[in-house]
Amino acid sequence: MLHDFSYHRPSSMKEALDFLAQNGPKTAVFSGGTDLFVVIRAGVAKPAHVLDLKGIPELGKISWDKTEGLSVGACVTINTLTEYPAVREHFPVLRSAGEELATFQLRNRATMVGNVVTASPCGDMGSPLMVLGGEVVLASSSGERRMPLSEFITGVKRTLIRPDEVVSRIVVPPTWAGAVGGYHKLKRIKGHDLGVVAVAMVRKENTIRCAISSAAPTPVLLPDLAATSSVEDVQKKAQSMISPIDDVRCTKEYRSFMVDIFIKRLMKELEAAA
Amino acid sequence: MKHVKFTLNGKPFEREVLEHRTLLHFLREDLGYTGTKEGCGAGECGACTVIMNGEAVNSCLVLAAELDGAKLETIEGEAAADGSLTILQDSFDKHHAVQCGYCTAGMIMSAKDLLRRNAHPDRHAVIEGIEGNFCRCTGYEQIIEAILDAADNGAAAEIAERTKGGDNA
Repeated sequence: MLHDFSYHRPSSMKEALDFLAQNGPKTAVFSGGTDLFVVIRAGVAKPAHVLDLKGIPELGKISWDKTEGLSVGACVTINTLTEYPAVREHFPVLRSAGEELATFQLRNRATMVGNVVTASPCGDMGSPLMVLGGEVVLASSSGERRMPLSEFITGVKRTLIRPDEVVSRIVVPPTWAGAVGGYHKLKRIKGHDLGVVAVAMVRKENTIRCAISSAAPTPVLLPDLAATSSVEDVQKKAQSMISPIDDVRCTKEYRSFMVDIFIKRLMKELEAAA
Repeated sequence: MKHVKFTLNGKPFEREVLEHRTLLHFLREDLGYTGTKEGCGAGECGACTVIMNGEAVNSCLVLAAELDGAKLETIEGEAAADGSLTILQDSFDKHHAVQCGYCTAGMIMSAKDLLRRNAHPDRHAVIEGIEGNFCRCTGYEQIIEAILDAADNGAAAEIAERTKGGDNA
């Protein structure tokens, strides 16, 4: 059973933002609900209102444009994302990570925006979006602001979003379009599971970019590295920046160890694909 | 309360629903459609899988209030009124793909959704198609065989035919 809350489904952005300007701190915004209803059921969140964004047409849009890049609205599901032709063509790392996220049923509801706003250290979309230089667009009744994902996520389940704001969309600039890329995720079982540790990597021309999930409070983005870097150099850089912990899923030593393994595998894979 | 109009297995419904009611509890407790099961209640096990607007979803993580205008398919829409089984259900029966039965309704709905997207899945596609459904009895082997065999026996065509006839969507 879920506690007693009221359900709102605005049909325009203005209606949604006016509601949040009034009721923001007592409201949980959702589209897929695959995180929200889990934390409500567990008694961790107790919003007085839930605001369903799915009635707002522009938030369901996904588009690709050579100048702006990829734009993914708040209500675009992970399955829609991974099947979108421009994602398959230009951003294989997003597809690779999206397909690792939860199960088919959940991916029919879960969204990339939701995954990022939840800001769990083991979220699957944070590290691939960081390597691609993804930006979040925040909307409120007082206007819009935009910031890189690396600034937006500030800690474990913490972001810079204000209670009166929604992330209306995520924009992936065209800079890394066409880069070969991959996402490797360690799980406790062969099937679907939360990530124990994961590495996202892209390679384009002479540059490699790498980000790591579940090895620090936020995804960790390494500085750009030359494609000619040795595996050991990239591993050393990664180890100097992560701060893994021991938890129910594994030890910090195992996390560090697997970061090195995934870096080695991805560098080999991307070198072959480049 | 929220007023919602939807179809359930092809039949029109109109109801007042509690705004904090999950779709799963609405089906089971308010409508008495108890074929859909609650396993974990948190989107992990897939026992509560139903098909909403043509997509498989975990009904424990959907609100009944979201139903307005929706087309819903549940296990109750599968066998005919006289009890005759669909090709898919019959195949589960033949292959002993049911032991305790708790996951079966969700498995059938996921398999139905898979066969709609892919009429002739290979073994790997079947495994991926039921990745979101736990079974703690069978070890999955009989379920995989049942789905593969159902596909060979025209299950996808039967599903398409019934969908066209408005029987279940």
